[in-house]
Amino acid sequence: MQGISAAQLHDERRQELDLEVIVAAPNARLPITVSDVNRPGLALAGFTENFLYERIQILGETEMLYLDTLSANQRGAALDHLFECDLPCLIVSKGLPIEPRLQELCESRQVPLLRTRMSTTPFIHQLTAYLNNVFAPRMTLHGSLVDVYGVGLLFAGDSGIGKSETALDLVERGHRLVADDIVIVSRRPPSILIGSSNELLGHRMEIRGVGIIDIREMFGIRATRVRKRVEVEVRLVRWDPAAPYERLGLEDRTTSILGVRVPYVTIPLVPGKNVAVLAEVVAMNHLIKSSGRNPAADLDERLKMMMQKDQAAFPVGDVGDTE
Amino acid sequence: MIRRTVRVVNELGLHMRAANVFVERASSLISIVQVSRGELRVNGKSIMGLMMLAAPLGTELVIEVEGPDEEVAAETLVRLVEMGFGEGVSGNSGGPK
Repeated sequence: MQGISAAQLHDERRQELDLEVIVAAPNARLPITVSDVNRPGLALAGFTENFLYERIQILGETEMLYLDTLSANQRGAALDHLFECDLPCLIVSKGLPIEPRLQELCESRQVPLLRTRMSTTPFIHQLTAYLNNVFAPRMTLHGSLVDVYGVGLLFAGDSGIGKSETALDLVERGHRLVADDIVIVSRRPPSILIGSSNELLGHRMEIRGVGIIDIREMFGIRATRVRKRVEVEVRLVRWDPAAPYERLGLEDRTTSILGVRVPYVTIPLVPGKNVAVLAEVVAMNHLIKSSGRNPAADLDERLKMMMQKDQAAFPVGDVGDTE
Repeated sequence: MIRRTVRVVNELGLHMRAANVFVERASSLISIVQVSRGELRVNGKSIMGLMMLAAPLGTELVIEVEGPDEEVAAETLVRLVEMGFGEGVSGNSGGPK
């Protein structure tokens, strides 16, 4: 698995995590590859079975207090336990003083040693959130992502079907573009999909016949969004008279993106159809369904009740038995 | 033009899913399809129209088809209703078993 180095972590999060480098360890053997962290209290005490060496090791007040209770010899032995395996990174929290023996070991074993002034628990939360993002499963999709009334609509369909034009139409109508043509989607725990644009492309768009345009420059900041949760996939397809299209909407059809179930709708395109208006309707219908209502099911319910009353008034036998 | 009379035989009557099945079948035909219940007459290719009939189990419906495939159309649609729109025939239907 691809990982990041402690140097990268420091470069990217020095300010947010209040990090300083104590030992840089340019020849570190293990990269950081998991977002979970470990507090190695038990390893220091000598119990190294099941020691989660591949995680970032956080030395907080408890660990440091424990080391303080030991004699110099015992302390050396405790730290040796910790270094039985290669470690990706050690971080001392709360700005605690660095034990000289710890620094020596980090230098000789080439394990990066960082220190933060933050308290241990908030530090772990923020570090984990950052690492979760770094290690989130992600993929690149061909499509456009637009925030329509706060609902993230992912437009999918063949090249040239009009995804960009639909996105442009929606921007004109006051909605916000997240990404066009290339959408980078990542999965956040527990099962949320976040889409964003490629850093280079930003909010630029290619419109056939016109060329590259910059939505941010053209429509301003309110027309764009950096990231948005992907909530509904809208599939644009060429109208096929033989294909069965959804006419009721009694149940949600779902597709899977990075293992997350996402409802989708298929919109067949015919000349003169206003896809932007339909997209707005899809977004609003999603909001209505999310609030626990289903217009199709409601109507079916009303219809069934009406038929029941009708049947009570004219029981089957009275209508005329054919047997 | 062909006119046939059928009876609704499925338990739930002409509810939403049944209407959808009927419309799907009707839409695959070239003929114009009209369905009536008493005075009420609607386009047989419209889900909203069919639901408006609100026809419960036991109701008599008149299906009228007109077009180049009207014979096949009449046969197909009548059979569909008689089969209870694929939902089966209610024991209480008084219709064909």
